[in-house]
Amino acid sequence: MLALTIAFRFLRSQPGQTALIIAGIGVGIAVQIFVGSLITSLQDDLVDSTVGSSAHITLLPEDDGEQISGDLAEEALRQPEVTTAIPVRRMSGLYVSGDQSTPLSITGGDPEDIDSVYGLSERIVDGEFALEDGQILVGTTFADGAATGIGDELELVLPNGEPASFTVAGIFDLGAAAANERLAFVDAGSVGDALGLGDDEYSAIEIQVADVFTSTEVAQRLESPGVEVVDWQAENQELLSGLAAQSGSSLMIQAFVLVAVALGIASTLAISAVQKTRQIGILKAMGMTDAAAGRIFLLQALILGVTGVAAGIGLGYLLIWGFSFAPVDFDVRPSPALIAISAAIGVAVALASSVIPSRSTSRVDPIEVIQGG
Amino acid sequence: MADVLVADSIEKIYGEGDTATRALEAVSFEVAEGEFASIVGQSGSGKSTLLNLLGLLDTPTSGAVTLAGQDTSGLSRRQRARLRSDTIGFVFQFHHLLPEFTVFENMTMPLRISGQKVGDAERKRVSELLELMGIGGLEKKNANQLSGGQKQRVAIGRALMKRPDIVLADEPTGNLDTANTDAVYELFRSINEELGTGFLIVTHDRGVAEMTDRILEVSDGKLVQDVRNDYV
Ligand SMILES: Nc1ncnc2c1ncn2[C@@H]1O[C@H](COP(=O)(O)OP(=O)(O)OP(=O)(O)O)[C@@H](O)[C@H]1O
Ligand SMILES: [Mg+2]
Repeated sequence: MLALTIAFRFLRSQPGQTALIIAGIGVGIAVQIFVGSLITSLQDDLVDSTVGSSAHITLLPEDDGEQISGDLAEEALRQPEVTTAIPVRRMSGLYVSGDQSTPLSITGGDPEDIDSVYGLSERIVDGEFALEDGQILVGTTFADGAATGIGDELELVLPNGEPASFTVAGIFDLGAAAANERLAFVDAGSVGDALGLGDDEYSAIEIQVADVFTSTEVAQRLESPGVEVVDWQAENQELLSGLAAQSGSSLMIQAFVLVAVALGIASTLAISAVQKTRQIGILKAMGMTDAAAGRIFLLQALILGVTGVAAGIGLGYLLIWGFSFAPVDFDVRPSPALIAISAAIGVAVALASSVIPSRSTSRVDPIEVIQGG
Repeated sequence: MADVLVADSIEKIYGEGDTATRALEAVSFEVAEGEFASIVGQSGSGKSTLLNLLGLLDTPTSGAVTLAGQDTSGLSRRQRARLRSDTIGFVFQFHHLLPEFTVFENMTMPLRISGQKVGDAERKRVSELLELMGIGGLEKKNANQLSGGQKQRVAIGRALMKRPDIVLADEPTGNLDTANTDAVYELFRSINEELGTGFLIVTHDRGVAEMTDRILEVSDGKLVQDVRNDYV
């Protein structure tokens, strides 16, 4: 195709200008990809550390001191979004050593159930994941403070004032110091005995959903009399509005980068169109139509856009790879959807910015060029 | 012989109102196939205007141009471009080659613009034309690596690529020295004789005009003289 050949030649005849604009588009797209991936990964990470290993929705008895039925877990599982719903029993315990006492929030439940929400079996750093009658799992921070290790007996004071003794079976790390200090897990029976609960009496139903952001909608559907529904999103409003603000400012940055890229391509093409006025006039004198002449600049924009975007994707991956050496404890994962969107927008912006030079090209009058020399 | 070009009382007025300039007034003449003619006249007399109208680069304010038997009055821009590129070869004072392309590519550009394939036959024609113009073997050279005389010859070759009925040349040697000027006119003459291509050449130079078979003189926008030189 002739217009394409001419477009290539025009670009090649000004290699510096061409390289600069490709670099410009490349840097723009790379920033786009990097900032976008960074923000998405950062937010995923934050959300994951907030609710990754805890309940997204918790069903509690409406009145203190009441209990709820384990049947509610079965019911919750009927919602398509719900992946896990487990009945648990909770109580507080006090670890006393000398004149120091440390409160523990003890969760009792079926080991498999507990594992499905908290992922404990993969977070045990010492000992093993086991919850036989009389066994307890504690966090790393607590274990350090209490100087207790695997197989040690742990004396706790329970809510009923009775002392109880548990054997430390494993020590976990949930990734947050507060959780590692306060949380402890035992079997359901131990809590039931200490609280004097019946077989189908539980403190709470802990629920996880496939997409954590659907929790509010699911929570609404789980409302029932006598039950208080706690949604993690409602509990973490500040975090969520912080994330929204962050997404907003990242979108702004990306929009400005795109505007800069568009202006760059538009001005380069406009300059190129002026520099090539003579050639366009000659081509028209030889019979080239206005439309075909305009197409030359459209194709130049397309070539610049596609090459620039390709360079930008490469550079974006390079930045993300470089970031993996930064001393932070999370990784930036490139998001294919984001890259596809950036690429599409980049090429579209390039094409859009060729409109003006294409138009001015179709207005070139061959006579003026020919008479003017 | 059939007429290639017919100008029927053409008039050209540039601009409107107070600033209007009448560049041509009631110009009528015919050019037959294979003629070797020149247009002379003072600077500003309307020679280029006339040539641009005859070559369909511009449209007359009134009157009609008939090209290769076709009345061009009612044609669209696109149709005129098409008819022009099929029947006319242009040579201007400035070579107007595309500096981004090689000699070969410049020569074949008119073919490619009209969507024709460039194959072995065209390759052969390019090399023959270059040979005829005394610059054989320059195909692969970049256009901007040539001397002024070489560029003008390539431009002439380009005008001949599509075997036009007539070549319209506007001061084709205006930028060349005497030796090159003579060479170009000899070239025109031999192309005219060998290929039967018609020529209509605008020139300031009476001496050059005397070498053609017919002299059309334009003065102040009017055709004031149309004489034939009788060669023996
Ligand atoms: N585009 C234009 N707009 C307005 N006036 C024009 C235009 N082109 C030419 N003219 C006028 O028309 C007249 C004829 O111009 P033209 O270029 O045809 O002269 P010419 O005989 O070719 O002169 P020269 O020998 O200097 O090339 C001049 O008075 C010129 O000023
Ligand atoms: Mg002139």
